[in-house]
Amino acid sequence: MLAYIVRRLLIAVPTILLLIVASFFLMHFAPGGPFTSERPLPPAVLANIEARYGLDQPLWKQLWDYLYNIVVHFDFGPSFKFKDRDVNDIIAQGFPISLTYGSLSFLVATTVGVSLGIAAAIKHNSWIDYLAVGLGIAAQALPNFIMGPILILTFTLWLGWLPGGGWNGGQWPYLIMPVIALATSYMGSIARITRSSMLEVLNSNFIRTARAKGLPTRTVIWRHALKPTLLPVVSYLGPVFVYVLTGSVFVDIYFSTGGLGQAYVGSALSRDYAVLLGVTILYGVLTVLVNLLTDLAYAWFDPKIRY
Amino acid sequence: MNKYIRTSLAGLLTSTMITGAAFAAGTHPTTGEALADDQTFTYRILDEHSSVDPQVVEDVSGAEIVRDLFEGLMNQDEDGNLVPGVATGYTTNDTKDVYTFTLRDDAKWSNGDPVTAGDFVFAWKRAVDPALSSPYAWFMELMSIENASEIIAGDKSVDDLGVKAIDDHTLEVTLSAPLPYFPQMTTHSTTFPAPQKVVEEFGDAWTKPENIVSNGAYVLTEHLPQERSVRERNENYWDNDNTIIEKVVALVINDENVALTRYLAGELDRTEVPAGQFPRLQKENPEEAISFPRLCNYYYTFNLSDGGPEAFKDPNVRQALSLAVDRKIITENIMAGGQPQAYTFAPAATAGFDVPDVEMASMSQAERDELAKELLAAAGYGPDNPLSFEMVYNTSEAHKKVAVALSQMWKQKLGINAELANMEWKIFLEERGNQNFDMARGAWCGDYNEASTFLDLLQSDSGYNDGKYNNARVDELLSEAKTSDDAAPLYTEVERIIAQETPVIPIYHYAGVYMMDSDVGNWPVKNVEQNWYSKNLYKTAE
Repeated sequence: MLAYIVRRLLIAVPTILLLIVASFFLMHFAPGGPFTSERPLPPAVLANIEARYGLDQPLWKQLWDYLYNIVVHFDFGPSFKFKDRDVNDIIAQGFPISLTYGSLSFLVATTVGVSLGIAAAIKHNSWIDYLAVGLGIAAQALPNFIMGPILILTFTLWLGWLPGGGWNGGQWPYLIMPVIALATSYMGSIARITRSSMLEVLNSNFIRTARAKGLPTRTVIWRHALKPTLLPVVSYLGPVFVYVLTGSVFVDIYFSTGGLGQAYVGSALSRDYAVLLGVTILYGVLTVLVNLLTDLAYAWFDPKIRY
Repeated sequence: MNKYIRTSLAGLLTSTMITGAAFAAGTHPTTGEALADDQTFTYRILDEHSSVDPQVVEDVSGAEIVRDLFEGLMNQDEDGNLVPGVATGYTTNDTKDVYTFTLRDDAKWSNGDPVTAGDFVFAWKRAVDPALSSPYAWFMELMSIENASEIIAGDKSVDDLGVKAIDDHTLEVTLSAPLPYFPQMTTHSTTFPAPQKVVEEFGDAWTKPENIVSNGAYVLTEHLPQERSVRERNENYWDNDNTIIEKVVALVINDENVALTRYLAGELDRTEVPAGQFPRLQKENPEEAISFPRLCNYYYTFNLSDGGPEAFKDPNVRQALSLAVDRKIITENIMAGGQPQAYTFAPAATAGFDVPDVEMASMSQAERDELAKELLAAAGYGPDNPLSFEMVYNTSEAHKKVAVALSQMWKQKLGINAELANMEWKIFLEERGNQNFDMARGAWCGDYNEASTFLDLLQSDSGYNDGKYNNARVDELLSEAKTSDDAAPLYTEVERIIAQETPVIPIYHYAGVYMMDSDVGNWPVKNVEQNWYSKNLYKTAE
């Protein structure tokens, strides 16, 4: 197992490197640059700015300097747009926010989704099943950019219960709507996957055996059916986990949370190269790590899988 | 220096002396209105500002914050007139190329240090310093400060800049060319002073709330990027006794509809009204929905460069297209926020600008359409030989609505096929800047309140002349206007030529369309540049 983990981490190094190089060139080939503006800068002014950020160097040199600074100084460079902050500052400010509402959404989506799915499968074709399936489909049909405005209209404008946005250090009234908005559609998907997976497992031979030897339903479900049921759910949860952790641009836009999602999209639009690359690398590393965790989790859920 | 201009201060000083105690009683010193206990002004900004460093800031929302944190030589009042800031007045020589500003002796930084002429010299040198590489260095060139261009280009040292401190309270500026409206330009954030000691101690991080020292009516107390920035009363500000608003909060809310909802929920005192929603909001909240003219225009430009479409080289075609645009439909049905229809490039709201009698403006739309058909037929286009071109705009709901309306008007009235193409902002700028278009959307907001800030765009060597319009007479008039004492007739003539030749199609002029809490007093609706100062606002009790 340990050898497997080490091997996976070693493979991750060239993967990330490839990601950096590809993103770097794609980014530079996109039309426009960080200093393209409505008022084109006079050439002398532009030359000074480019010299300051090293953008006057050949691309390969820029890429080399960039990698060198990361490896040697763990410095991801300056932001071209925000003059008093560098990439490290921007990530340090936005990532904890995304991490907080993201993990909470993940927790909510998983707990509620899995519970709904299991309830629906156990009470197959009963009103509980129909209700759960109905809820799941409705939730899935409500992506966060629909949920955002609906929640704000309902809880801020009509009921006046919750603040319409902001973060305020992550106090709970500010967390509720972002978490619900982000969790809803995932919850729906998780419920559906769990339900169909559980139905399949409940029809399999080893469950029939367990029932035949007289085990109570609860034990059958918890001890025997749950783990194999969760296997397909886990493979869905891996990418979802990365997605919610890195924040959602819609949640950031609708709730002014100040998370990394907005910074990421904003940096792409403003061609803030260093911020864009820095966040891409962060997402890349997270994806690699979570994929590894997912694979390790498989082994726990299904003893047949061995590394 | 025989011409002596000095802005009268007597009235201002008297009011300063008597007001101090009035606030305690909770009434406004001049209007007598009851003031609210909580003097916090909260407003929405669309996007995180780039910086609050006066020499570096380049976006509107950043400049608004900087105008509260720092104070330049001159300020603007509610109507956009020049009033004293750190300077109490200025003198100029006969040739208007040397300006001498007298600085007040009670101006202080938020750490208690006096504000001196040296702070301005430091800041202005900083603005042109290639080492800082400010994106607004060009503003110093625009101000015609001696040697600014050479310093930016690296040909001269920053110490050669035409600005010096005669003593702590006298600042002398030498210009490379006479500039009658130079003092107006000192209300721009690039010219605000910077605290040398602090800048040198903290480098780029000097603008963080824990480091910043400023000389305006407010100090920055909190900044949560992408969320909010908070500024609070500066006790050391020379006119602090007259400041009523205690705290100003700028909330970053990207989505304008969410911002409107939060405004309606009472979380904000001010927000922008999304296009088309003004009539409804005005009906529901007549006291809060406000609209007033702004110093910005909205137009489509023809590509007149060699690579541009052959058809557009004919002024008849261009004029026909402009005539067929029913501006009333666009301003009243699409934007619907009180925007004025545009028949000239510079807005009527521009100071000292006499809107010329452009023929088109006085015609009825039916007459215009008729003339458009004639002109287009004369140019050889018609049902047998239909004109087609592509019009580009940057991706946005409102721009799309306008573009669709334009193409429909041209289609229905003139049988023209105008194909729409939208592009992401940076790509759009790149394509438009490289003349890779037939017709492109454009908009411009004045950098200062003078017609040249708009009309210079049509000068043949202007870096912003994306349509590559080239008319020797226009160039001549515009360069003459730079040094003229009375430029208004020159601008009028330029507008007449533009109306004839139609290198651009002016569509509408902007309006500031806001939801503004009726508690907010003294919002400068008549300041067309919308240079507002929180220190001049107040909130009345409900």
